[in-house]
Amino acid sequence: MPDKVAGRRRRAAFFLALPSLVVFISIGFVPLALVAIWSFWSFDPETYWIKPVWSLASYTALLKNGRAAVLLQTAGLAALTATVSTLLAVPAATVIGLLSGPRRATLLVALFTIPFFTSGLVRAFAWRLVLGREGVINNVLISLGVVHTPVEWLLFSDFAVVLGMVAAHLPLAIVPIVLAFARIEGSVIRASQDLGAGFWTMFSSIVLPLIMPGVVAGFLFVFVVAIGTSMEIQLLGGAGASSIAIMINDVMRVVNFPLAFAIATVVAILLIVVIIVADRALELSRLFEDRGA
Amino acid sequence: MTLHPIVGDRTNGGRPLFSIITALCLMIMYAPALYLLLASLNPDEQLGLVAPTRYSLNWYVALLDDHRLFRALEESTVVALATAAVATPIGLAAALAYRAMTRMRSIFLLVILSTMLVPGTIEGLGLSVILRLVGLSPSWVTVALGHLLWTLPFAIVVSLIGLSAVRPSTVAAARDLGAGPTRAFVDVTLPLIRGNLVSSFVFAFLLSLNEYARAYYLVGRQNTLPLYMFGAMNSGASPTIYAFSGAVLLVSFAAVALIFVIAARRQSGPPGVSLGAYPTHV
Repeated sequence: MPDKVAGRRRRAAFFLALPSLVVFISIGFVPLALVAIWSFWSFDPETYWIKPVWSLASYTALLKNGRAAVLLQTAGLAALTATVSTLLAVPAATVIGLLSGPRRATLLVALFTIPFFTSGLVRAFAWRLVLGREGVINNVLISLGVVHTPVEWLLFSDFAVVLGMVAAHLPLAIVPIVLAFARIEGSVIRASQDLGAGFWTMFSSIVLPLIMPGVVAGFLFVFVVAIGTSMEIQLLGGAGASSIAIMINDVMRVVNFPLAFAIATVVAILLIVVIIVADRALELSRLFEDRGA
Repeated sequence: MTLHPIVGDRTNGGRPLFSIITALCLMIMYAPALYLLLASLNPDEQLGLVAPTRYSLNWYVALLDDHRLFRALEESTVVALATAAVATPIGLAAALAYRAMTRMRSIFLLVILSTMLVPGTIEGLGLSVILRLVGLSPSWVTVALGHLLWTLPFAIVVSLIGLSAVRPSTVAAARDLGAGPTRAFVDVTLPLIRGNLVSSFVFAFLLSLNEYARAYYLVGRQNTLPLYMFGAMNSGASPTIYAFSGAVLLVSFAAVALIFVIAARRQSGPPGVSLGAYPTHV
């Protein structure tokens, strides 16, 4: 009997998973796999497409014309964005998970989540009004007499890009930490208090280790998403600013398919490795366990 | 259960410090958008804030003559509705499957996560090449396919959160009273997660409506809204840009805020129904 039930359960699970698997495989995985294979083919100038002549040309081209520099630069900006986001997210998530009652915690989670579903394009664009030569910050600084000419590096700079990306991706850093807080047993905090620990001792020796998986997950989420964005860089970056996504778009504009595929392959493989490692280390699947009967 | 009462008020400066940082976070997330909204009410050609008495909807009225904007909006709405209508049921089915899985769970979650996190430019590029190969010419359908891949992970997560808040004992009770698995699902589980299904639809709709990187590769002759807006933002600053940016912001903020309000209402209502977006217990 139990075998029969388990078998039926497995079959039901399979059929329920089928539509999503079709989407993930046919729209998600297959294109990526083909892109990865085709990145080793050669460009065909006659058809403006590719031909099945195996070559590593696009991977050697990856290292030329400053393309490697763009890859490193994007990774650097993403790492900086993830670091700043994490430093802001830990205190913010602590306010939600440790220092607020249920009502305020819900409100704060809502406030931090809502912008994620609004237009990233508009929110990046809005920074132009704040940071520009005639923006809010420069107007205030000039009227206070702090500076006499507008501060130029506020906009169209790496500063603006990182600020825009932090503001856009902060929810990705906060949410995993909030989920980690929900797993902390009140008794361990009470125990630390009974042993005479003050707030900071309790925070650093009890809370921080317990939320660390969420902190690391949040850092990686922001890093991975920031690697792929182009919006903030295109709207807020300096004249020569580039990123992996912009580079792919530029390469595609001159229909150099194999090179675009090679860049995409390298980045996708790196990111998927990061995600797998994070998943292994942090047991992310535990986030959706049942709350019990 | 929350940790809040245990910690109490003696935080040696921790609470004020952390609260200031939280306020700073909210400020960088909201202040620019708010400023843009107020600046869009400025009737002058020149940018900036004016006194509230001079607020005007001039630039919003001027939007009504922008036919290209409306065609883009129409295209985006069609794409977003189609995407949400497909992503929501598939997401629910996938969430149910996830809960019935044993060993496959972690792999399935990995697939969901990586789909969510692979850059849109790469997904869009790959998909556009495949679609060209199978002979599907770019149109709203191709954009919707790309957006289905983008929104499905979120739809699954929202459904999972809803399902994990349904007490197994409630469903078990229905089964004990003679309901089959389908009957128990339709009569017990489905009403309990209705709020999450609405959230799932709205979130998928909004994520699609605002998506840029995939649409860039998949769009047909008619631009979607973000593509049209991106062009306008980079081609000189006409004040109407601020007006339609403001309109887009307002609509998305209103839609999500509404979802959260409904979710919060439901949370204080029938037992076993949790907040639409995040579990308080995991």
